[in-house]
Amino acid sequence: MIEKYKGIVPKGDLILIERLCEKLKGCSFLHVNSTRAGGGVAEILQRMIPILEELGLKVRWEVIEGDGKFFDITKKIHNALQGNEERFTKEMWEYHFEVNRWNAEKMNLEADAVFIHDPQPAPLIKFRPKNKESLWFWRCHIDLSNPQKSVCDHLMKYYEGYDAGIFSVSKFARGEKDLEFIVPPSIDPLSEKNRELTEQEIQETLEKFDIPPDRPMILQVSRFDRFKDPIGVIKAYRIVKRYNDCVLVLAGSPATDDPEGEIVLNEVKEFAANDPDIKVLLLPPFSDRDINALQRAATVVLQKSLKEGFGLTVSEAMWKGKPVIGGAVGGIPLQIIHRVTGFLVHSVEGAAFRIRQFLNNPTMTEKMGQKGREHVWHNFLITRQIRDYLSIWYYMKEGKEGILEL
Amino acid sequence: MEVKTNNYFDFRRCVTILKATGKKAKNLRELRDLLEVVSDNSIVHHTFHYFLKGHILEFTNDFAEWAGNYLEERSLSEQLSNIDPYTFKDINELRKTLIETIDDFLELFPEPREVPPGNEFYFNETITLVFPVGIKVKNLAEFLIAIRYVDDECIYYHFYEARTRLGDSIDDFSMWIEHALNKKTLAEKIRSIDPFMHNIEGIRRHIIDAVEEEVKRDMEEVV
Repeated sequence: MIEKYKGIVPKGDLILIERLCEKLKGCSFLHVNSTRAGGGVAEILQRMIPILEELGLKVRWEVIEGDGKFFDITKKIHNALQGNEERFTKEMWEYHFEVNRWNAEKMNLEADAVFIHDPQPAPLIKFRPKNKESLWFWRCHIDLSNPQKSVCDHLMKYYEGYDAGIFSVSKFARGEKDLEFIVPPSIDPLSEKNRELTEQEIQETLEKFDIPPDRPMILQVSRFDRFKDPIGVIKAYRIVKRYNDCVLVLAGSPATDDPEGEIVLNEVKEFAANDPDIKVLLLPPFSDRDINALQRAATVVLQKSLKEGFGLTVSEAMWKGKPVIGGAVGGIPLQIIHRVTGFLVHSVEGAAFRIRQFLNNPTMTEKMGQKGREHVWHNFLITRQIRDYLSIWYYMKEGKEGILEL
Repeated sequence: MEVKTNNYFDFRRCVTILKATGKKAKNLRELRDLLEVVSDNSIVHHTFHYFLKGHILEFTNDFAEWAGNYLEERSLSEQLSNIDPYTFKDINELRKTLIETIDDFLELFPEPREVPPGNEFYFNETITLVFPVGIKVKNLAEFLIAIRYVDDECIYYHFYEARTRLGDSIDDFSMWIEHALNKKTLAEKIRSIDPFMHNIEGIRRHIIDAVEEEVKRDMEEVV
């Protein structure tokens, strides 16, 4: 598997991964998250695990199970951590803990390194096996820069049991531990969502969704979630439309841990008001090739989030040479270097203005797209993330020296 | 030092992993106070490691960038950008100069503005991993091939990071060229490349140009 990345990703990253895997050979590595499909965490795990297995690590991926009530609670936790005011009762927290207890009973939590992803399975730390020396990491992918305090405080009670925290952006780190690391997520250049496509494959997708191939296309790929501001995207498109012909495509997949998706989807459809040039596409899980084709066919890509964990769709589009207009939130400013690889915007009007700039200046669009691809190559490919995870594990294991010679 | 072994130049690469300190500043006074207490590692990260970021040539360290982009204090930003971290004998000297520069500014403008939430300065530290990338060269022609395609972080390690290891604004490339290949003029030419005025791609280009010229001259002499 790792051979396939040669010539595509930075060579030095592959060398370091191989060296670190030699050092960690035979060690076990467990990841626990809350969904196998939908969202960036699942996508990264799907690709990362076979690579590490091939290099001699024993890797497992467990998914926490829960009912609708559990995922309603965890969605509220997620929203509250991103700054929305939510009401919580003692009973809700107890239910969150009990579902974790139930999962812990049937899950093998023994491993040399354990990565618990996001708040849903965070209480698993309370069931950490006592008889084995292991390192437990809480890997938080969400924007914790302005959380609802009571919810964050509750979660921190679990967090304090972990050996270290890993956050996507500096401003998400809590400052509650000596060992908090910053690891931005990444995309996989070989996955169905990012691999090169033939012109015919792209055309097939456009035909399937009845998207005219000869008109400029504005695209936002994201879950139907208010934090992604799909209504704001439609408002921006309407401003652009006054002078520029274009089609707007809003495409997203449902995730099993997001019960609000359907409500937001209906709001978006209503707001689109049967405009034939707005395509609202609810794609089934694993529609990766279609998303890939849409990103490649797009003229301009948006990620107009109001809150964002990282916003990997930005890197996905940039990898395909597309300039991106994004909200200046979460990890988006790490990916979009303003005026170099795209534009950061703060309002509907700002988004509309930048879309118009791109639609009217193809040379600038192409140049920024190229810069974006280079930026992703250096910083946001999956091999960099694997390298970072292994480096942190090795650092923790080897006595925490500031400079490690390999 | 790797260059002395059998006169080969053994390319290495460094990778840095970010570690949060939990310390953040929302205005200049807080930045100044934290500069007094953060670790040497953090100062190194926000100054020396700036060149690893593939920066746009507007600033030369994170403090200057924050002052310019978020505090919108242009003159302070220019002064901070003018601080050359390689000229200090230790990190404490550098730390002192950063603080003095901010103090001078605060004397003139004692009421610093605050940045909006989310735009604070976050102090980080780094873990550095150094490893050979499996490319060894023994003469200038081989070096020329290698320097064209090694990763940016290799160039960073040998051109920028070396200055902190070797001192006196000396880099690994020029050391090897001078001592292993006895080419003092070429070594001086590489030493004269301004590390602040180029990103890593620019440094690579300048080295290629200088070495290519030397290799051509050598070949012509042979003929």
